[in-house]
Amino acid sequence: MTRAANSLSPPRRGRSYAAQVAGEVLTQWGARLGLAWIGLLGFLAVFAPFLANSHPLLLSQDGQLDSPLVRYLTPADVTLLALFFTGLILALARASLRTWLGGLGGMLFLAGTLSAALVQPPALTIYEQYRQQEAAGQYDWVVYAPIPYSPKDYQRDRGETGLQPPLASPQEDHWFGTEENGADVLARMVHASRIALGIGFIATSIALGLGILIGGLMGYFSGAVDIIGMRLVEIFEAVPTLFLLLTFVAFFERSLYLLMVIIGITSWSGYARYVRAEFLRLRQQDFVQAALACGLPLYSILFRHMLPNGIGPILVAASFGVASAILAEAVLSFLGLGLVDDPSWGQMLNQAVRSSTFNWWMAAFPGGAIFLTVFAYNLVGEALRDAIDPYLKKSLK
Amino acid sequence: MSTYVIRRLLLMIPTLLGITLVVFTVMAASPGGISAQSLIEGQNLEPQAKKALEDYYNQLYGLDSPPAVQYLRWLNNVSPVGFTFDEENNLSGFSFWKGSDLGTSFRYGRPVLDLLEERVPITLLLNALSLPLIYTLAIAVGVRAATERGKVFDVSSSALMLGLWSIPTMLAGVLLIGFFASDQYWHWFPTAGLSTREALDMPFLPHWGSLQEVALLFGTGAVGTILGIGLALKAPRLLRVGLLAGVGLSLGLWMGANLPDPHQGVTVLLSLLLIVAIGGLGYTDYTGLRVSLLGLLGAGLGLAVGAQWGSGEFVRGFLLDRLWHLVLPVLCLTYSGFAFLSKLTRTAVLENLMADYARTAQAKGLAENVVLWKHVFRNSLLPLITVSATLLPGLLAGSVIVESIFSIEGMGKLAVEAVQTRDRELVLSITLISGLLTLVGYLVADLCYAIADPRVSYD
Repeated sequence: MTRAANSLSPPRRGRSYAAQVAGEVLTQWGARLGLAWIGLLGFLAVFAPFLANSHPLLLSQDGQLDSPLVRYLTPADVTLLALFFTGLILALARASLRTWLGGLGGMLFLAGTLSAALVQPPALTIYEQYRQQEAAGQYDWVVYAPIPYSPKDYQRDRGETGLQPPLASPQEDHWFGTEENGADVLARMVHASRIALGIGFIATSIALGLGILIGGLMGYFSGAVDIIGMRLVEIFEAVPTLFLLLTFVAFFERSLYLLMVIIGITSWSGYARYVRAEFLRLRQQDFVQAALACGLPLYSILFRHMLPNGIGPILVAASFGVASAILAEAVLSFLGLGLVDDPSWGQMLNQAVRSSTFNWWMAAFPGGAIFLTVFAYNLVGEALRDAIDPYLKKSLK
Repeated sequence: MSTYVIRRLLLMIPTLLGITLVVFTVMAASPGGISAQSLIEGQNLEPQAKKALEDYYNQLYGLDSPPAVQYLRWLNNVSPVGFTFDEENNLSGFSFWKGSDLGTSFRYGRPVLDLLEERVPITLLLNALSLPLIYTLAIAVGVRAATERGKVFDVSSSALMLGLWSIPTMLAGVLLIGFFASDQYWHWFPTAGLSTREALDMPFLPHWGSLQEVALLFGTGAVGTILGIGLALKAPRLLRVGLLAGVGLSLGLWMGANLPDPHQGVTVLLSLLLIVAIGGLGYTDYTGLRVSLLGLLGAGLGLAVGAQWGSGEFVRGFLLDRLWHLVLPVLCLTYSGFAFLSKLTRTAVLENLMADYARTAQAKGLAENVVLWKHVFRNSLLPLITVSATLLPGLLAGSVIVESIFSIEGMGKLAVEAVQTRDRELVLSITLISGLLTLVGYLVADLCYAIADPRVSYD
C-alpha cells in the first residue's frame, strides 16, 4: 500500500537550471582546478591577518597572556571573517539562493557597522618592538603567525636591504624574497589577494549592473533610446579601456574603492551589448507580450520576466570579465598608477626589472599569481560557456 | 553603399564628441582639476615669477574660465569648421576652412600635432607587424584544431591557447626582458628603444666585407633550409626526432655555457626542455607546420654557421638593427591575440564543417582540402573579420604596456606620460586619435564583411 502511494506521489522535482549548470561545470577538470585556486585565494584573503603578520599571535609577558594580532585587527578584517563564517554556516545548512543573498547582505551591514563602531586598532604600529623585546628576553614565550611579517613591515631594524632573493641569508626566512623596501614578498602577496579578489568581484558587479540596466532599456525600448544608448556604448568602446582607465585614475585620488568603481564604469559596454541583443530578441516573444498585456509594471517585465531568460550568456561574459578586471588593476599598478602603499601583485611585478637588473622572484611569484588567477577565471568561464550554450555542447558531443 | 559609408562617417562625429566630453569632464571634475596653479605646482619659483607663469598659462589655455567655456574653446580649435579669433581673443568671424589645431602640450611646450606625428607611426608599425603574424598563426592552428576535433592536437592546443591568453602582457614582457635582454642571463636582444645610436648612421641594408662572404652566407643558409625541408618531408620519424633532439641538446648546452655564471642544474633543465620541445617538432604529423618550422630552423643554423666562418667584417645596417629591436615587443603584442583568435577560428571552422553544405560537398566526392579551404574556410572568415575590429583597440591598449616595458617612444608611452603629468591637450588629442582609429577600424571591418559575404548589403 505504502509502496503504491509512493509511486503515485508526484515525482521529485527536477534539479533547478542553476544546479544543472553547476553540476555540468563541476564535471570538468579545468573548472575544478580553477575553482580550487579561487577558493584558495578566498581563504588567503579572509585569513590574511592570521597567516602573515608581524604582530605575535599570542605572547606571554610577565606571566600575562596577550594577543597583539587580535588587538590590531581592522574593521575590514572583522567584517570579512564574519561574512566568511556566515557563508560557511549557510553552505552547511544548504540554504537557498535567496537566503544566501539575504544572509550575506544582512551580515555585511551588521558586521560592517558594528565593527566600524567597536573595533579600534591602535593607530600607530611599530613592528620593531616585538623583535627588540624578544631579543631583550622580555617575553616568556611568543607564538608568531606562520609568516611572521606584515605587508608593510619594512624590516629596517635588521639592517636588511631591499630586493633580496628568496632565502638569501640563513637566519632570515623570506620564502619569496623581499621587495625594494625590504618587506616580505610572501606576506605582501597574501594580503594582495584581497585586493585582487575584491576588485574582480565588485568591479564586475558594478559593470554588470550598469550594463544590464543600460542594455536592457536599449533592447526593450529600441528606437531613439537605442540610438542614444548605442552612441554611449560606442563612446566607451572606441577609447581603449586602458586609456580611459589611465585618465580616470590619474586624475582622481588613489583609493581601493574608487578603483573598483572606475574599473566598473569603464567596462560595462560589452555587457550592455549582450543584454541589448538578448532583449531585442526576447521582446518579440509571446511571454513578454503576455506580461505586457497583463499590465505588469515595467521593472517586473524587465527584471523578472526577461532578464532570467537572457542571463546565461551574460554570466559567462561576467566570468571572463572578473579576469579582465583583475588584470586591469594589475596593469594600473604595474604602470605606477595603482594604490600607493597597499600591496598589489601588479605593483610588485613592476619591481622585477629595475635599472637593467632582473629580480626573478619579483616576476615569478606575483606575476605567477596574476597569471594563475586570470587563468582560473578563464577556465571557469570556458566551462560555464560549455554548460550553458546548448549549441556548442552539441557540437562538442 | 556610399550612402551607408557617409551615414557611418557622420555618426562618428557625435561619438568622437562624446569621447572628448567624457575625458574632459573627468579631468575637470578631478580634485584640483586642471588649473594654472596645478600645472606649476612643485616648481621652485619666486612668488612673482610664479604669478607671471600662472598668468601666462591662463592666457595661453584660458584656464581661468569655467570648464564649459574651456571645452567649447578647445572644440572650436580642433574642429575644422568654427569661429576664428584675432590676437586679443575677440571674435573675428566664422570660417569653414580654418583648419584644426590640436593645441600645445603643457609638458613639452610643442604642438601636439608634431608630437603625434612622431609617435603614432611607431605604434602603428608595432601593430602592423603583429597583426599579420596573429592572423597567419591563428588560422594555421585554429583550422588544424577544428579538423582534428577531439584529438591530441586539438585538446593540447586548446589548453595551451587558454593558458597563453591568460598570461598578462606585462609578465611576458618582464620575463622576456629579464631572460633574453638583461646581462644576468642571455643578452641576445636590446633592452630598450627601437634602434641603437650607431645604427642611425649606418646604411639601410646590412653589409659584408666581401662578396665571397655574402655568397658563403647565402650558401650555408640555403643548404640549411634545403636540409631542414628535406628532413621534414623525407626522413622517417625516428631519424627526425633523433636529429632534432640532438639539435635541442646542443642548443641547451650552448645556452647553458653562455650564462654569465654557468650553473649545472640550469643547463641540464634547459637541455631537457629543448630536447622535448625541438624533438617534439619532428614527431608532429602536420606537414605544413613541420616543413616551415624545420625550414626556419635549418636556415637559422645555416646562417649561424656561415657567420661563424666569415671574417666578421659585418655592418648590421639600419634595417636589421630595427628588426632586432622589434623582436621582443612584437612577440609580446602578438601572443595573446593569437591565442584568442585561434580559439575563435576553431569554433568558426567547426561550425561550418558540420553545416549541410560542407557535408554535401564531401558527399559529392570533393577532395578534403578543397572542401576545407574553398568552402568551409571562406565562410569561416566572417567572424574573424568582425573580431579584427575589436582586436584593434586591444592592440592599441596593449602597446601602452609594451611600449612602457621596452621604453619605445610610441603613442602608448606618450599616453601614460600625458596622464601622469596632467597634460590636458595631449590627453584629449590622444583619446581623440585613438578613438578615431578604432572607429575607422570598425567601419573597415563592416565594409570587409559586406565584401566577404554577398548576403550582407548596407543599403
